[in-house]
Amino acid sequence: MIYAGKETEVLVQGATGSQGRFHINLMNEYAKAVGGAGVTAGMTPGKGGQEVYGVPVYNTVADAVDKHDIGASVIFVPGAGCGDAIMEAADAGIPTIVTITEHIPVHDVMRAVAYAEKCGSKVIGPNCPGMMIPDECKLGIIPANLCMKGDIGVVSRSGTLTYQVISELTAAGLGQSGIIGIGGDAIIGQTFADVVDTFHADGRTRAIVLMGEVGGNLELEGAKRAMDLGIPVVSYIAGVSAPKEKRMGHAGAIVEGGEGDAASKIARLREFGIPTATRPSEIPGLVKELF
Amino acid sequence: MKFREYEAKQIFRDAGIPTPNSELITDAKEAAAALSRVAEKVVLKAQVDVGGRGKAGGILPATAETVDATAVELFGKQIKGLPVEKVLVEEALEITHEYYVSITIDRSKKRPVILFSEEGGVEIETLAKERPEALRRIYVDPSFTVLPDFVVRNVIGTAPKEIGVIVKKLFEVFIKKDAILVEINPLVATPKGIIAADGKVILDDNALSRQGISENRDLTEREKEAEKHGFSYVELDGEIGVIGNGAGLTMATLDIIAYYEGKAANFLDVGGGADAERVCHAVKLVSSMPGVKVIVVNLLGGITRCDEVAKGIIEAGVEQKIIVRIAGTNEAEGKRLLEENNYLMLPTMDEAIRAAVEVCR
Repeated sequence: MIYAGKETEVLVQGATGSQGRFHINLMNEYAKAVGGAGVTAGMTPGKGGQEVYGVPVYNTVADAVDKHDIGASVIFVPGAGCGDAIMEAADAGIPTIVTITEHIPVHDVMRAVAYAEKCGSKVIGPNCPGMMIPDECKLGIIPANLCMKGDIGVVSRSGTLTYQVISELTAAGLGQSGIIGIGGDAIIGQTFADVVDTFHADGRTRAIVLMGEVGGNLELEGAKRAMDLGIPVVSYIAGVSAPKEKRMGHAGAIVEGGEGDAASKIARLREFGIPTATRPSEIPGLVKELF
Repeated sequence: MKFREYEAKQIFRDAGIPTPNSELITDAKEAAAALSRVAEKVVLKAQVDVGGRGKAGGILPATAETVDATAVELFGKQIKGLPVEKVLVEEALEITHEYYVSITIDRSKKRPVILFSEEGGVEIETLAKERPEALRRIYVDPSFTVLPDFVVRNVIGTAPKEIGVIVKKLFEVFIKKDAILVEINPLVATPKGIIAADGKVILDDNALSRQGISENRDLTEREKEAEKHGFSYVELDGEIGVIGNGAGLTMATLDIIAYYEGKAANFLDVGGGADAERVCHAVKLVSSMPGVKVIVVNLLGGITRCDEVAKGIIEAGVEQKIIVRIAGTNEAEGKRLLEENNYLMLPTMDEAIRAAVEVCR
């Protein structure tokens, strides 16, 4: 399993807000289409007893977990209260916590992710589009119509760029085993290397498309892990033209103290022998060359 | 958001970290009076936000005899292109040793890291490269909101205990202020004790509102305008205006512009689910930048509806040529609207960007 599967019952935290409602509907449309469990519970403090598209809403995560066999949570709670929401999910023992929310204070993320790890939970995100296992489950906001079942694992720090690349992979006949958006913040839960481990343990992934950007060095760690495990990788790093010390949309997309610039990451990836695209449109061709 | 040195020192003082006597002035005429209250020997420090300020002539020593002329000189200067609007008049310290201490966030380890060196006063990147053994790195469990004494001991080693007290207080500032960096370089030993001779504090932009800060003043006027509309926006110096949705896709757009040897004027991510009004604001904002010859709009609709995007572009009705690549929800309707109004549309991002670069040739 790659974090979740067909049988995974999903909780949505922040279920009654506009984002929560909209995406509960889309996630359950997908679950219905593929015969998966989908979102079976929602949670918003003070809104217990309500329903969203037929999904019961609870006041606390503990209440939801008490009534349902929840395997994953998807969080749409606004930034200021989101660190708390992650910790609540972890405290209730939910194994996979997908955090879509952007603009969470970084100290909150640090504390929440550390706490979740102590509880044995895995946090995907924050500031991410969530994840898709084609024909199995959709946890988050990735447009399902772009995906196709297959054996390419996609792991990325961005949202729309990922959609772009999945649609090109699908058009090229390259289906996906899983698409994991790990998020654009400086501190994130699951890293490239963690996702690579998960793909490897699951065993259905033949090659990995790793999409990174400026800031930090997690891409290199992930690419190295995949090489050690014998899974071929194609990579792409956005932000070659990003100026220093400027935040490029994502809180984590910033070149600091001369570290984390795209050009040096690409150079390192190529040193490892990893085919690295200059434009996203080159990715499907590079994947095909692997086999 | 970055604080200037004088603000960082005020934060340090409030936290009980010793700082030199000082006074902030905004006019050379105030220098002599300030000196009389601060110390007999002072340094005048330009409050500009650039690295290597000292080497660029932004820090000058002065006494009662020379302070007027020195202040006039400093206020008349540009430090790495920035005008000097504020000057800190600070007591000159009798320094016997310089240390370095900072606290920041380690992205790989996902926790705070304290950097400490007994060789302060130099540029830390240089020290890290040339003498890594002289720089101690101590990682801190993210659940600590007060630094435990054992961590303090690990940080300072055999350095004076007074420094440990300062490190502990600095960690309090780091937590309380939602900082992503707090730095004292140099932290100096003087006959009067250990003093923070310089200071840097950078706040997490995602925590500004709970820190009671309503406006990020690191931004230019246009960047503030963009922030009001919920855009992520960065100004660059090229001639191709860029509007995209999602940070990654927009960054990739800039990179493809560079690939075709064009120059982007900006980075603008309209965010998810932009309606006609937001798109219209975005187009007008980019159009208002001097030197923009052409605008490329690269939007991939998931939540974003292509018909709304088209309406926004048409409503903005700006002078510059706009080249559009849209795909996703309500694509057909969006394309029909743009076609009716004679906008150039291309099916892929590569083609659209290439066409924009061609316009500038």
